[in-house]
Amino acid sequence: MMSEDFTDKIVLITGSSRGIGTAIARKFAGAGADIVLNYRKAGGSSQAQAEKLRDEILAMGRRALLVQADIASYESVKGLFRQTADAFGRLDALVLNAAKAPFKPIERLLERDLRALVDVNYLGNIFCIKEALPLLEKSRGSIVFISSLGSRFYNPAYPLGSMKAAMESVVRDCAETLSEKGISVNAVCGGIVKTDSFKVLRQYWEEIDHLPEKFFVEPDEIADTVLFLCGASSRGIRGQTVVVDRGLGNSLYRSKKK
Amino acid sequence: MKQNLIAEEKVFEELKKAVVETLRTEGNAITRDSSLIKDLGAESLDFLDINYRLEQAFGIKMARHFILEHIEEMFGEGSAIDENGQLTEKAVALLKMRYGDTYGDLAGGVDVDDVPSMITAGSMTEGVLEILDSLPEKCAHCGGSSWKTDDGTHIVCGACNEPAIFTSGDDLITSWLSSVQEEKKIF
Repeated sequence: MMSEDFTDKIVLITGSSRGIGTAIARKFAGAGADIVLNYRKAGGSSQAQAEKLRDEILAMGRRALLVQADIASYESVKGLFRQTADAFGRLDALVLNAAKAPFKPIERLLERDLRALVDVNYLGNIFCIKEALPLLEKSRGSIVFISSLGSRFYNPAYPLGSMKAAMESVVRDCAETLSEKGISVNAVCGGIVKTDSFKVLRQYWEEIDHLPEKFFVEPDEIADTVLFLCGASSRGIRGQTVVVDRGLGNSLYRSKKK
Repeated sequence: MKQNLIAEEKVFEELKKAVVETLRTEGNAITRDSSLIKDLGAESLDFLDINYRLEQAFGIKMARHFILEHIEEMFGEGSAIDENGQLTEKAVALLKMRYGDTYGDLAGGVDVDDVPSMITAGSMTEGVLEILDSLPEKCAHCGGSSWKTDDGTHIVCGACNEPAIFTSGDDLITSWLSSVQEEKKIF
């Protein structure tokens, strides 16, 4: 599939040192965009992977800025967008991909865990939207939120699902209020992807190993949909969550056969 | 019961393998004193990956939650970590009781965020060994009482070849906490 041309567009992807975020960054760079990469924790494996990705994007002949920022902190988010504005002077697309959550049934989360859950996965995304607005207004740009099937189905030990559901509703609201500024807002709801988070899921849901291979979504397939939602061909879509799950969510019935 | 089919050295080798595969680091850089976070650059997601590999290697269930989380769940929020995010004296006492000097000179008032970096390759190895030492006296399937390992990492029944069922890492921690609480009434 030929994706749209994003030459000289600036795209910021939160949480882009791993999994889906990395695939989205690569795909945008391949389509000509310059990329702002973001990771949360300094000095660890995320930083090392993000640096590798930055070098890879530079080698593609694109520009890449790497910013450490914890989206749960408003100050940190302000710094992220200040650095983006300083480096590129514009922003065309914001991809809200970063997420972090404990893996426990929601009623077992302590007050501290619950506040962190909301801080990162709800407030953090809204901080990003607020800070991106001045830049996105100028470019009449796009916002895409990365959701997951946990927004609509039960997953064992997955309190993040409730935050994904909340954000899908934020996407709908913001799509309306920001449409007059020419900013498009949509979401991509990914099915089961074999990223780092899957390794976690597998520990709480052993049966997942019996899921037929055909239902596993490639990070690349999610990235393609994100690019589509940031391009002109999706201009008629507003405030929607597009499910990319290879049909996993369509059927209640599963054959026992693999 | 204490098992003697899998030696500490073998567990450490498997742990190194898991760390190398997860973090793509050099195996010979890993010693028992290596902090997985500080020295090897691991993050929370990496621990889950390392645990998963160890679970596959030995047929065990590693603890999903650190002892501090179990303390708070059993004895209430604030029992292990105070409102400033620091370890309570009681939590430190429990950590020392359970892990000895593994966590160095731990004291009350240590920031809880600094605790995970005290996890070393050695302490992870100990964790696996503790689970392996929960090997039951008798096979749950046939009642046989001889165990063997054919591949050096999976313990199976000598009579029926069914895999041994170990206590999970989380259950080991919670039952230890219950017995300490029973005995010493810490909370």
